Amino acid sequence: MADAEEGAASVGEPLDLVRLCLDEIVFVKLRGDRELKGRLHAYDSHCNLVLGDVEETIYVVDEDDEEEETVRTVKKQSEMLFVRGDSVVLISPQAPS
Amino acid sequence: MESLSIHDPPPAGEQPVKHQPVPPMVPQLPPQMFTTAAQLLDLTDKKLMVSLRDGKKIIGVLRSWDQFANLVLQDTIERIFVQNLYADIPRGIYIVRGENVLLLGEIDLDKDDYIPEAFQEASVDRVFTLQKKEAEDRKRKEKARSKKLRAYGFEGEHMGEAII
Amino acid sequence: MLFFSFFKTLVDHEVTVELKNDISIRGTLKSVDQFLNIKLDDISVVDEVKYPHMSSCKNVFIRGSVVRYIHLPAAAVDTALLEDATRREAAQASARAKQS
Repeated sequence: MADAEEGAASVGEPLDLVRLCLDEIVFVKLRGDRELKGRLHAYDSHCNLVLGDVEETIYVVDEDDEEEETVRTVKKQSEMLFVRGDSVVLISPQAPS
Repeated sequence: MESLSIHDPPPAGEQPVKHQPVPPMVPQLPPQMFTTAAQLLDLTDKKLMVSLRDGKKIIGVLRSWDQFANLVLQDTIERIFVQNLYADIPRGIYIVRGENVLLLGEIDLDKDDYIPEAFQEASVDRVFTLQKKEAEDRKRKEKARSKKLRAYGFEGEHMGEAII
Repeated sequence: MLFFSFFKTLVDHEVTVELKNDISIRGTLKSVDQFLNIKLDDISVVDEVKYPHMSSCKNVFIRGSVVRYIHLPAAAVDTALLEDATRREAAQASARAKQS
């Protein structure tokens, strides 16, 4: 553990990186074929999150008449969203473009 | 660990949760409102719809419970909805382990046994058969879906569990 | 305890709870406990025809573990206060981790 450096900017453990993302736009990947992009307002050690101005992307598989499957994405907006930590797969400070 | 005896005062970090500084945004509401027990107390002796993790819906009267939301339900029926049909099966007394409970709904006695017009009552056998077929169909679709989405780095959420 | 305290401040606000089985239930937040089990009053199910079993329910108790999202009214959330509380909670958590 990084005991020497104890400033607010140090990253000693994984969740410290999340702390540095507070009030920044983050990208969150979730179980259930979902991704979120939004401003991080809160988190805890379970990875429960609160995000503001969120765009949710859901990956849906459609099956046509020839049993051919295609992947389609559905986007949803939410002004303020609590996300339960057990669905969270990863939190990234940099949203993929 | 240094040698500690039971008489030593507890270190600051191990104090009971209630002594920790509370964030300033807590409103002044009675704390007993915010326990599992208080939430279930209101529902005791009420007619409930209980949704279970395997997708079953049980309707009955809540007679007993504990802090894990283990439940005792009396005079239960199981209600199965499939397509535009439904069927009721009497099931008697249920003891449900808390972890299998998704949701408890108190049934509004003014709307008691209200079922949306789109649904017709049918025989248990017929509903059972349709339900089985629907489950198989969903399982097959689910399999195809997770196979397709694996390329995107997703893994199935339920992984073999029933969906309501 | 951060989110427990946070949800206590949202009591009596309208929220929409989305469960992991895709059901969305809208209602007034009435109560929350330490497991983030929640109770909603005057509920309506967003897609009732798809999920008919709750049409005669007036209030529900939802086990915290089955929740995916809770959609909140942004006006009821003081984001600056919430971020401060998050930093404080994080500092406490890391202090506890060092002690043990």
